[in-house]
Amino acid sequence: MKTQETLIELRVNQVSYRITVRPSATLLDVLRQDLGLKGTKRGCDQGHCGACTVILDGKSVNACLLLAVEAHGKKITTIEGLSSGDKLHPLQEAFVEEGAIQCGFCTPGMILSAKALLDEIREPSEEEIREALSGNLCRCTGYVKIVKAVQRAAQAMGSH
Amino acid sequence: MESKGPFKAVGKSIPRHESFAKVTGQARYTDDLDLPGMVYGSILRSPYAHARVLHIDPSEAEKVDGVLAILLPEDVPQRPFNCAGNPPSPLLIKDEKVLTDHPLYEGDRIAAVAALTPEACQEALDRLVVEFEPLPAVFEIEDALKKEAPLLHPEIAQTNIFKKMEARKGEVEKGFAESEYVFEGEYHTPDVQHVAMEPASCICHYASDGTLIVWSNTQTPFQDRRLLAELLDLPESRVRVIKPATGGGFGARQQLHNQHVGALLSKRVRRPVKIINTREEEMVATTVRHGSFCHLKVGVDKEGRLKAFHAKVYLNGGAYCTHSPIVLAAQTRKFQYRIPHYLYEGYAVYTNGPVAGAMRGYGNPQLTFARERMMDKIAKELGFDPLQFRMRNHLEVGETIPAHTFPLRSCAIKECVEGGEEIRKRIEDREGTRKGKEGITEAWGIAFACHTSGPSNNDGMSSCLILVNDDGSVNLAIGSADIGQGCETTFSQLVAEELGIDLKAVAVTAADTLHVPYDLGTFASGQIYVGGNAVQQAAQDVKEKVKVALADQFSVDRGEVRYENGHFKIPTKEGSAMLLPFREAIAKISFGRKGATIIGRSSFKAEESPLPFAVCWAKVAVDHSSKTVEVRHIIEAVDVGTAINPEIVRGQVEGGIGMGLGFAMMEQIEFDRRAEKPSSSDLLHYRIPTVLDMPEIHVYIAKGSYEPTGPFGAKSVGELPVVPVAAAIANAVAKATGEEIDSLPLSKNFVFKRLWQSQES
Repeated sequence: MKTQETLIELRVNQVSYRITVRPSATLLDVLRQDLGLKGTKRGCDQGHCGACTVILDGKSVNACLLLAVEAHGKKITTIEGLSSGDKLHPLQEAFVEEGAIQCGFCTPGMILSAKALLDEIREPSEEEIREALSGNLCRCTGYVKIVKAVQRAAQAMGSH
Repeated sequence: MESKGPFKAVGKSIPRHESFAKVTGQARYTDDLDLPGMVYGSILRSPYAHARVLHIDPSEAEKVDGVLAILLPEDVPQRPFNCAGNPPSPLLIKDEKVLTDHPLYEGDRIAAVAALTPEACQEALDRLVVEFEPLPAVFEIEDALKKEAPLLHPEIAQTNIFKKMEARKGEVEKGFAESEYVFEGEYHTPDVQHVAMEPASCICHYASDGTLIVWSNTQTPFQDRRLLAELLDLPESRVRVIKPATGGGFGARQQLHNQHVGALLSKRVRRPVKIINTREEEMVATTVRHGSFCHLKVGVDKEGRLKAFHAKVYLNGGAYCTHSPIVLAAQTRKFQYRIPHYLYEGYAVYTNGPVAGAMRGYGNPQLTFARERMMDKIAKELGFDPLQFRMRNHLEVGETIPAHTFPLRSCAIKECVEGGEEIRKRIEDREGTRKGKEGITEAWGIAFACHTSGPSNNDGMSSCLILVNDDGSVNLAIGSADIGQGCETTFSQLVAEELGIDLKAVAVTAADTLHVPYDLGTFASGQIYVGGNAVQQAAQDVKEKVKVALADQFSVDRGEVRYENGHFKIPTKEGSAMLLPFREAIAKISFGRKGATIIGRSSFKAEESPLPFAVCWAKVAVDHSSKTVEVRHIIEAVDVGTAINPEIVRGQVEGGIGMGLGFAMMEQIEFDRRAEKPSSSDLLHYRIPTVLDMPEIHVYIAKGSYEPTGPFGAKSVGELPVVPVAAAIANAVAKATGEEIDSLPLSKNFVFKRLWQSQES
């Protein structure tokens, strides 16, 4: 059983890729397998846990729910695109400083959901932060330090 | 182990050392690894909770492009084993097979396939033709105990009770006869799932030289190695288990998951085989927390002192033994009140439900829910304040809890109560407590808990090496498995403290059985107490060896070099002394004619397993008209001995509260009665708390606790904080409603209302 492969173009972390993909391949499959961007995690493959969250044209999406062909021509940010060299994004820095990381499996998705929020709202309320992170499950932290980290990053980014 | 500080590295909240890798996406979890020649594996699991496999026809599956091997039950060793990642024990009944033609639960492994792609694996599984004869199944403890119930393991037991455990002190009947009041109650808790965010993952490579290498998320690399060596008839020296970054465990990774299947597939195809569970497999085919039924009988005198306690506990073990007997044994040692007469009777029961195994708390959350509900009931009936009633009966330093062999050497329960009460009063001053206004009643509930530091049968054992480099930096090699709790970071603090060196000078290699010596693994909250003691002893061994090398270097008697206040002190001929900090001492001895390489080593066997303590408060708001419960605040005060890294401890407590909230309010593996199998097969049908569900969380860490047998006074924290939460919430809801609450989750009888509302517009 052979399936037709499709050529798509993606711009991921400001790098352009032209790749052929199976029609059934999800954006998550392509990011992890074809592009080797393993920072995007597969927690459930069903859109329930948020571990695969990436930013697509400014909005946070579950990469496991999006077919790769639907991402054709889109701009995507993954966790690998946030830092430059040793310089962390303020959100990454805040997650480290607040100790908002335990097992770390939800961390990339959490940070990207938070980034999509802060890109849109510079000074979000606690409710807005919680709402923005409500699609990202974490089983380790009770979310306390994660919320604090986002508040800290918002403050740091606001003062720049 | 005597120094109580002041400390330089201990007690500091440094960020965990893998932070940078985890926030940048560079941390490598098992599924992130791709090996040359690697192929994929998948497992055909039983769709029935109980069935007989009559026939399997693999011919169509074999024709799928890319399929390399198909394993059926007859292709693999049929010797039964026990998947529990525990040190060997005769209690661990071997009743499970790698692949079976007699599946005993939905998810039981029947066949396996290796193929070039995950898609080919799936297609091959779809084309395996299996003829089943469905058989009658039982799911509830009560049903499994009936005479007519199908017998799950006639080869093990002639009823579905496969283990009975008893612990006693005094004569409980005499105690009841002497009691003014006797109370009884029955309590139920459901099966719940760990829901670690990373699915069970392994890559197994059985190489042509007869060596097996396994990369997997595991809590117990050395236990896995032993089990795999036994299953594959290999010496342990030829089995190497490596734990990459691991996305949570909570007990779920204290069982072999698919490593045996992966190893056997790889042995067949001689290529690395990767098996990653789907979330559905995680939900139905890994392990769960034992569902429980508990009957309590408690006798009290008229001063409100406990006289007699009798617990009769039934645990739903699911289809296989795994940890159950040890979970029962652990339950016997969690009674933190003074009690002259005590009887614990525990029964592990086979059912065709999900297999129960290790989960954070290991039997303790179930029993604590029952006991702490009962304590509230007694306090209410006799007119005592629930807090005072507990404190009146609580054990103190020097006393021994039932079934333990050593007395308490540290117990800061009073400071926990005071610290938590102060927080509670601040909240009350700020917001008050609504009493029926607009149909809403608020109330506080409280619960106490204790746990263990290392296996409570004192089975804890760990060892490590500290390799000293010529620049004075050191490499710690330890078997411990950090699954997200941060123990590698904490160990580096212990090393830095003991040697008086900078934290940055300590690097940790862990959890690779080829390169590090034995450690029991991450379970029983044992890493800091058991592993930490091993680390401190190895660091002390380093210092002893440095003293000897310095003595030789400077030609003084070996006994004359001392270590004081962070310096090695070497007497000089002039009668004074040369003082060298660690780094300078190493510089003096590293090279040259009398050069020495320093390797510290340790082998620590725990003789005790000290108890950490927790007190938990919950404030709930109940809307009587709609029967909704909103959990507004959780306060948890903990005595963990010295908090080596307070923010890591705080994070553990906060996470434990989150897990406890799920256990209290919403989590339960649901059964579809008609289909005769669990329906909680994904994270929509099995909800864990989201960030919108969480109450305001307040943590208090007791400062006045020092465990003399622990490294720098530390006990443990990992499991403790989850234990009292459900009981505290249930006590609050019972108080607010006046209803007797004897089962979990509360969402069976109430509507759980999120504290944080989604934005309306």
